[in-house]
Amino acid sequence: MKRHEGGQALMETILLSLILLIPLIWTLGVLADIHRVALAAAAAARDAGTEAVAAGTAPSARRAVARAIESAFESHRLDPDLALVDIRSDGNLGRGTSLSVNIRVPVTILQAPLLGRVAGPAIWVEARHVARVPLFGSRS
Amino acid sequence: MLTDPQQRGSSTVEAVFSIIFLVLLVLGAIEVSLALYARNVVMTSAHEGARAAVELGTDPASAAAIARSTIMRAAGGLVTDLEVTVLTERSDGFRRVRVAVVGRIPPFGPVPVPIPLSATATAAQAVPVR
Repeated sequence: MKRHEGGQALMETILLSLILLIPLIWTLGVLADIHRVALAAAAAARDAGTEAVAAGTAPSARRAVARAIESAFESHRLDPDLALVDIRSDGNLGRGTSLSVNIRVPVTILQAPLLGRVAGPAIWVEARHVARVPLFGSRS
Repeated sequence: MLTDPQQRGSSTVEAVFSIIFLVLLVLGAIEVSLALYARNVVMTSAHEGARAAVELGTDPASAAAIARSTIMRAAGGLVTDLEVTVLTERSDGFRRVRVAVVGRIPPFGPVPVPIPLSATATAAQAVPVR
């Protein structure tokens, strides 16, 4: 080792670590966001399905679904408008029929620390819940 | 191979500093991951607690007990000093349960201070007309 190279390995390690650290922290943030959205979507789909089958009519079921999704997303500090919701019923919510609630939410990969989501590619997180309208249950 | 006697052992010292720095970096990354994971778990446990309370609670006291036990089961092992506040109300034909959770992530890694966490959740259910 030459005299002028003293301490170079330490500087190289620090620089390389910082270059690795920024993408690492950014990846951790995106993964945490995917986890949060997955938890919110699963909770929203389950709550929406549970509320919809107890609603009785299609309009009140739609209102119940919107309410459940808003509640679940706000609990997870997410914007409910991000969710794309698809509700399907095989028998117009008649007793014994099934209803499925499908929720898709985009997670933007490029996020700035203070600005939040910026334009760019997104990973779609999807949750689905199938519920059966009770044969003898009371309806709200 | 070292030729200058004054630099003998300098590579060992640099290696030790580098390893310490990398260990701190890895522990820091683990701590950030744990904090983000705990935040998500606390948020979703607050929602689950509010939901369970509104579904199963027959009165405000039982709703609060259900919310507390649900949150403790979900997040109790991950977060210390967990405090749960439950508020139940009935208005406009709906029963609403509002849950607030406060806790701390125990110190771990290079930052020797506990990280505070908090979450609030609200669940509502239409009250059947009798």
